[in-house]
This record gives sequence, C-alpha cells and structure tokens, in this order.
Amino acid sequence: MLKIRKFIKIFLINIFLLSSAQIIWAGGEVTISHYFSGELGKANFMKGVKEFESSSGIKMKDSPVGHEDFKTDILVRAAGKNLPDVFSYWAGARVQFIVDSNSLLPIDDMWKRDGLDMVVAKSVANSATMYNGKRYLVPLNYHYSGMFYNKSVLSKAGINTMPSTWDEFLSLCAKLKSKGITPIALGSKNRWPAQFWFDYLILRTVGPDYRHNLMTGKAAYDDYAVKHAMSIWKDLVDKGYFTNNSNADTWTDASDKVARGKAAMTLMGTWITGYWNGMDLKPGVDYDFFPFPIMSSGIPNAVVGPVDGLVVSANAKNPSGAKKFLSFMMSNPEVQAQWTDGQGALSANTKVDPTKYNTVMQRALRTVAKAEVYAFNYDLATPPPVAEVGLSMFSEFMDNPANYISILSNAQKNASREFKN
Amino acid sequence: MTAFILMRNKIFWRTVFLSPPLIVFSIFVLIPLINSFYYSFTNWNGFNSEYDFVGLENYTRIASDNLFQNSIFNTVIWLISAILIPTILGLLLALLIDSQVRGSNFFKSIFYLPICLSAVVVGQIWIWIFQQEWGLLNIIINLFRENSFEYAWLSKPETSLYSVIIAWSWQQTALSMVIYLAGLTSIPKNLLEASQIEGANIFQRTFFIVIPLLIPATIIVVALSMINSLKGFDILYIMTEGGPFHSSDTLAMHMYNESFRKYRMGYGSAISVVLFFIAVTIIGIYFRQLKKLDELYD
Repeated sequence: MLKIRKFIKIFLINIFLLSSAQIIWAGGEVTISHYFSGELGKANFMKGVKEFESSSGIKMKDSPVGHEDFKTDILVRAAGKNLPDVFSYWAGARVQFIVDSNSLLPIDDMWKRDGLDMVVAKSVANSATMYNGKRYLVPLNYHYSGMFYNKSVLSKAGINTMPSTWDEFLSLCAKLKSKGITPIALGSKNRWPAQFWFDYLILRTVGPDYRHNLMTGKAAYDDYAVKHAMSIWKDLVDKGYFTNNSNADTWTDASDKVARGKAAMTLMGTWITGYWNGMDLKPGVDYDFFPFPIMSSGIPNAVVGPVDGLVVSANAKNPSGAKKFLSFMMSNPEVQAQWTDGQGALSANTKVDPTKYNTVMQRALRTVAKAEVYAFNYDLATPPPVAEVGLSMFSEFMDNPANYISILSNAQKNASREFKN
Repeated sequence: MTAFILMRNKIFWRTVFLSPPLIVFSIFVLIPLINSFYYSFTNWNGFNSEYDFVGLENYTRIASDNLFQNSIFNTVIWLISAILIPTILGLLLALLIDSQVRGSNFFKSIFYLPICLSAVVVGQIWIWIFQQEWGLLNIIINLFRENSFEYAWLSKPETSLYSVIIAWSWQQTALSMVIYLAGLTSIPKNLLEASQIEGANIFQRTFFIVIPLLIPATIIVVALSMINSLKGFDILYIMTEGGPFHSSDTLAMHMYNESFRKYRMGYGSAISVVLFFIAVTIIGIYFRQLKKLDELYD
C-alpha cells in the first residue's frame, strides 16, 4: 500500500514538473505565420528571425505559407481559433477587416515605449498602422508599383528615353510592336497583377478622391469615369500591346517573359526586383523602371503599392514576446536593410541608409517621396468581398475586353450587393 | 445467468470495437456538419468571435445569387461527366484487357497507375499537359498545323471546366477499370463458350451476356464515381481555383470562395448545407433504385 502511495506521489510530482516546464517553455516561444515564401525573401526574413532569437532568447516557431495560400490559411486558423501569436498581413482594408472582427491586439504601448514614432516614416505610419484610432501593425516594408522593363530589349529597339506622358507611352508601345516585340507582359492568372492597370488608369484619369469613393462604394463601376478608364485599357489590348493569354500566366511567368526578352515591360511591384536579382539580373544594367505615365494635368500624382505588415493576434499566448519581435524587426536598421534587400522592398524605417538600396530601388524611393499620394493597390483598398468582385472582373476583362461595358455593369451589381451585406 | 453474461459481453465488445470509428466519425464528420448547420443561420465572418443570428437570410440570399446558379449549372455538368466518362471508358478498357490482347498485363498496370497518384499530382500533370506554350496537348496539335497553336485550355472559360473533367476522368477511369476487371472474372466462361458455339458474334456476346452480367460491378462503379465526384474539390482547386472568373466554379468551390475569400462563413455554411442535401438526395435516390434492382434480381 505504501509502495502504491509512493508511486502516485512521484507520478504527480513528475506531472507537475512537466507541466511547469511546458508553461515556462511556452512563455519563451512566439508562434509566427507569414507569406514570405522563397521568391519573396524568405531567406532574409529568417535571418532577421534568427537574430531576434539570439538577442532576445525568445524562440520563434515559424510556419511559412505560400503567398496565395496564406490568404485562406490564416482564415482557416482564425475560424479554428488557432491564430499564431504574430502573422504577416497586408495593411489597408484587409487589416481593417480583422481589426473590426476584434482579432488583433493593439500595439500602442510598444509603439510608444520603443519610440517607433521616431523610426517609422510618417506617411506610412499614418496610412498603414492606425485602425479605429489605435495602432495594430508595424509596416515591415512597403512597395511601389511601376513599369519595369528589360533595358537591352528597349535599347535594341532604339528606345533610350522613357515616356513620362501617355502619348509618349503609346508611341513607345507602337514602336516596339512595329519591331515585332510585345510591349507589355501581364500575368493575371492569380488575378491581382491586373489590378495595377485598373488602379493607375483610374488614378491618372480621375484622381485619388474619385478612386477612394469607388473603393468605399460611394461611386459606381458603371460610372462614365470607370468606363472611360477601361476603354483606354481596352485600346491597349486591341492594339496587341499585351502578351497573349495573360490569364494563363502568373506574375513570375510575366516577369520571366520580360527577363528573357519575349516582352519589353510589365507593370509590377518592386518585389519583382527581388525576383530578378535572384535570377542574377543586375539592377540598372539589365532592368530598370519608369513611373506610370501622366495622363491628365491637374490630377495629384499618386503611386500605388502594398504595405506588408506584422500584427499580433488578440489571443496571442505570448503577447509581450510577440510585441518584442515586432519592435525588433521594425526598429533595427540592419535587419530592415537586410530584409528589404532580400524582398526587393522599401523600408519604412527612416534610419535605414538609402545608399544601401540598389540603384533601381533608390529611384523607386525617390519616386514615392515625390508623389502626392501613396494609395494601397485595389485589393487592399476595398473590402475583401468587393475586392473578389473586382479581381474577377479584371480577368474577365482580359479574356474579352470588347465586353467591358457589360462586365462593368455586372461588377457594379455584385459590388453594390457586397457593400450592402 | 450465463446467457445474461454472454449478452453483456457481446454488448461490451460491440461498444469497444465500434467506439473508435464512432469517435473519429463524430469529430471529423458529425460535429463539423452540425456546426455548418448552426453557422448557416448566422452572419459569422470567420474571424470574429461575435456574430448575429440572421434566421433564413443566408438561404434567401442563395435564391438571388447568380454565382450560386452558375455553380449549380457547373456542378450538374461535373457530376454527369464525372460519372459517365469513367464508367464508359473503364468498361471499354476492362473489356479490351480481358480479351487477352498482347501485353494486356502491362497495360493493366499502366492504366491502373493514375489511381495511385494524389489529386495534387494529377492536377499538376494535367496543368503541364494543358499549358499553352509548351504543354503536351498543344505540342501534339502543332504537329498537324502550320500556324502556331497556343490555346490556354485552363484559362479560357469555354474549356476550363471540361479540361478539369478530362484530368479527373483519367484518374477515375483506372478505378472503374479495376472494378470491371474483377467483375469480368466472375462471368462463367462456359456461358460465353456456349453462346459462341450457338453462333453469337463478339458484339452479341458483349451486349447480351457480358454487360448485363456486369450490372453489379456497374452499380459499384457508379456509386463510387458519384461519391468521389460529389467530394471533388481538390483537383478543381489545384487546376483552376474555379476560374477564370467562376467558369469552373462548382458548388464546393463557390462555398469555399464565399467562406474563405469573401469572409462570409455564415453564407458559405448555408451553401454547404444545400450541397449536403443535394448529395443526400442523389445518393438516396440511387440506393432506392439499387434496392429495387436487388429485389428484381432476387
């Protein structure tokens, strides 16, 4: 009997010790999920994670997911009440959506304590980090979308001056086409790459205020302004300026076509530089970019792009460790420089030395600094259900541009329904 | 007393052996199913822990949802094709292999291979076959043409769904073929020999003896094809994600889009409930007919 009692005692003590160890271990661990896969700078992101681990003693439990799959994976985890402590997310309407769902933890205390006001560029901090009056996101990096081109293709076609107006752009396309070169590559298989065309055509023809109204349901997709913008896009397709079957290509397929000289340029975000650098293309030598041309005078100069951020989930098991990680990744200039270089992004950390960027990224930085408005791209500017309507509309348009009037009226019908719900 | 103990033991062992599958079934099927019913009456967005009960709103919304109607239409095409094609092709292949043509064992293994592959692998193989620039299909077509043919099979709304059906049928045909081959072994050889002596040609033997005797195998093939095609989501997701612009959306894809892309988990649950009732109705009708057939045979 005594033996049994002794055995039970030892057993209970062991269980207590094991569970205590587990609690201590869990306290020193932060779970993270992100969409920074191979072509989006995973190696450099992981270097930053390792540096945080060694400087803080906190273990990061990482579960990366491919960029496209992440959009649903995180929702599956949220639905199962199994969100990681930290996860990457796109600033704008998507973060607003999960803030409204009470799924994120405010980080104002950390922001103030670690003096991030002195670190994060004001323009980015104001547009990307505040939701419902509180801070929820650190802007890990931001991007700029421009017309990236193959330098040798353009110079072989005798083009050395890049267009700044729409007429100049049209004559550049005509010249390339006459020499047998497809001017523009677009890979809209995953739909979102087409959005930059829509964004810029609207921003350049009617301006950011109208676009904001469209994104918030105060303007309609079948308005004259949108029809006009789409008719310009249609003209480009009709003239054969886009690669065939763009809905069959991904953004990397389109980038490869430009890199291989099968097309001259592609309207894409600065992450294309990270992708091309990984293929040993030299920035400023093999490729460069020019801003989307000006189409009407008197309209504020806007640039488009996403902000990749890190957020802390409301039910984080280790919120203090999670906030420490966010602060480290944001405020450490070396980590930021390393990360943005790997991803082909710009840092919102004002202490990052701009000379550390390659020549193309330095120009991108100056282009964004000169712009009057930094607008989130379409699927981050409008609520997610409406974004689904628009993204499908773009791929339908690329399949049959002649139908753009009925495509727009159908999109308006569906968008207004989504806004009401 | 002994009878009572035996009876008690019987109940005990039945409980022991039935509990594990019942627990697994409850966790992975029953509870999610009940949850879907529950959430179909809410406006839950998937992220928020708070939501409101909206009564039948999600179900009334279905009636005016043009994407739902589009997905119903595609589901009907998917179901009919995914049942008919593997059944017919599987039967033809089984008859060919059973006729002891040269190398039939080799072909049996080759034709059976697709069933060993996962839907992801099958999807990737067929994405490569349908690729517009260097895909196998367009390369073969280009052998017979002067002008370059670069049709994007999976990215055109006219062909996207049918292209996935071909890939799906390629895999499912293997399963049907194996079941038919097993069915063919049960046909008495003396019956076929007798009919041959009586002067029946190969077509008469096939249509009047073999195919009628393969009805039990056909029942299994159709039931499996039906169940598999109703579950068919993975291959569609891999190959087209329901696109381009919803042209290959089936009900399962539409449910996924609404739940996980538009963050309308409540509405997505309502679609899943409708899909559940469609599946139960189809399978119910099928098994009722099956019972009638059994009675006829008895």
